Amino acid sequence: MTSIILLSIFGIINLFVGFMKSKRILLPLSLLFLAVVFGANLFSWNEAQSYFNHMLTIDNYAVAFTGIMVLATLLLLPFSQHYIEEANENLAEFYSLLLFSLVGAIMMVSYENMLMLFIGIEILSIAMYVLAGSDKRRLRSNEAALKYFLMGAFFTGVLLFGIVLIYGATGSFYLTDIAATAAVNDGTVNAMFTLGLLLLVIGISFKISAAPFHFWAPDVYEGTPTLFTSYMSTVVKIAGVAAFYKLMAAAFAASYAAWFPTLIAITVLTLVVGNIGAVVQTNFKRMLAYSSVSHAGYLLMALVAFNERSDASILFYSLSYALATIVAFAVLQYVSEQRNGDETYAAFNGLGKTNPLLAFAMTVAMCSLSGIPLTAGFFGKLFVFTAVVQDARLMWLVVVAVLMAAVGIYYYFKVVIAMYMQPAADAAKIRIGSFASFMLIFITVFTILLGIAPALVSDLL
Amino acid sequence: MAETYTSDFGTILLFLIGSVIFVMLGLFTAKLIRPHRPNPEKLTTYESGEEPIGNAWVQFNPRFYVVALIFIIFDVELAFLFPWATVFGRRELIEATNGAWGWFSLIEMFIFIGILILGLAYAWAKGHLDWIKPKPILPQSRSGIPPDVYRQFNARQEAKREA
Repeated sequence: MTSIILLSIFGIINLFVGFMKSKRILLPLSLLFLAVVFGANLFSWNEAQSYFNHMLTIDNYAVAFTGIMVLATLLLLPFSQHYIEEANENLAEFYSLLLFSLVGAIMMVSYENMLMLFIGIEILSIAMYVLAGSDKRRLRSNEAALKYFLMGAFFTGVLLFGIVLIYGATGSFYLTDIAATAAVNDGTVNAMFTLGLLLLVIGISFKISAAPFHFWAPDVYEGTPTLFTSYMSTVVKIAGVAAFYKLMAAAFAASYAAWFPTLIAITVLTLVVGNIGAVVQTNFKRMLAYSSVSHAGYLLMALVAFNERSDASILFYSLSYALATIVAFAVLQYVSEQRNGDETYAAFNGLGKTNPLLAFAMTVAMCSLSGIPLTAGFFGKLFVFTAVVQDARLMWLVVVAVLMAAVGIYYYFKVVIAMYMQPAADAAKIRIGSFASFMLIFITVFTILLGIAPALVSDLL
Repeated sequence: MAETYTSDFGTILLFLIGSVIFVMLGLFTAKLIRPHRPNPEKLTTYESGEEPIGNAWVQFNPRFYVVALIFIIFDVELAFLFPWATVFGRRELIEATNGAWGWFSLIEMFIFIGILILGLAYAWAKGHLDWIKPKPILPQSRSGIPPDVYRQFNARQEAKREA
């Protein structure tokens, strides 16, 4: 709860600090705020507490995922350099909206009541609708905001309909009450319950861009300014998957037979569509959007496996995926801006020679995303596959996932090939601030560290 | 006879149907009684005695959008104030806690309103509440000819006309 209150207050303070003439203080101030929230969050470790009549519970699960999301925001904010350089007058609003959105994300991982889940999703999404359309001069950004808003509002309606049907069937919004009613009635109370469950699954699958509800993701990710795409791709997805897992584990554990077939179909479809879709892309940003769809598939695999290793593997995979994605989008930001807004693979030509640091960071990020050993992504995939393998009936799912991961290596390494083996079209060095380079090095080192010693994070939950 | 009872919602439904029928009766009777002899003058839109010029479908001014947005926020705040008001002044609660309940709920509500006032202050300071005045663009022309030349020329023309 302290993290929610602190983030809200810090967001408001940020808005008013934006009235000062010099915007230079905004980034350090926001980073300081996020660091304070990260620290305050750690105080709630092993001290589970419920608020608001058991609507919100800050337990270890919530603290762990809050920590990852706050850390992800902390790591991606330093790459907002070009906003500071061009003295964007809305910089304070951007940071405040990110902080407010983070409040919604924290509510999504610590809810005990479906209404809190809905409020969290709305707080998270509405701030993101604004940020998606924040670049008013580009048509793509407007398109992204409109598509995101319309589809998001529609699917939130679907989610609400599901919540209402579950309420009608069980008489309560609380996850524990729903679980009790479902357990008494041997899994499914009546047809209304099953329909509500299905609609809930659909509503949340939209949020994490799982196929076949992923169609908004490529256009929205491509149109949104890259800084906010990296936030969308990490924090929004992690919050969605964590909320999904909490929902299934706390409320619908007894109804496993009801939601299992649907979710397996969604998972397989997501894995296939995400990976095959990314193969044919020429735009790097769009490829990252499809790849984030496929990563939602891997996360859903751990969810579908539904054993005691699921939450730890989701946690570790989220962290490794967040780190790699932040680096990928950060490097893309610098490269595309200083090479005339070109976001295709060709923009990365020759980066190995002009900016070895950027190229190395991008290579490590691509290795992590494809699951090459010695990076965090490898252990992420290993934990997810181990969790799935516990259930002997799901062996075929692991086979599909491994095949799709192999497909993934192709498109992740397209950019590595462009960086190191293609001659540079423009030999100018990409300008990058020292603080941003330091953050890139830090994240890369952290990724490799987690790839060598994953027990740092995987033993938490 | 089977026991039937209409809940309160049933009463509301009856009221709704009754009101619709009442209005329809009035309109239908008027339509029966009145003469029907339209002519072009009678069919024009009423505009307080003036002649109507152009279409009635004018473009809606987007400046009103900001006003409507800020209104809706504070209207929702007002809606939250009502349930608070029902529990705030309860005599039993205040007496049971020796006055602490009154102070506690008052401070809570001040914090709630305070956060929204911060939002209003932000919108005010950012200039979102200013009515955007249209800036008419006066036509500017820059010619290299000084205005004296025009005066002399006009004076000469006038002299010529007098002559």
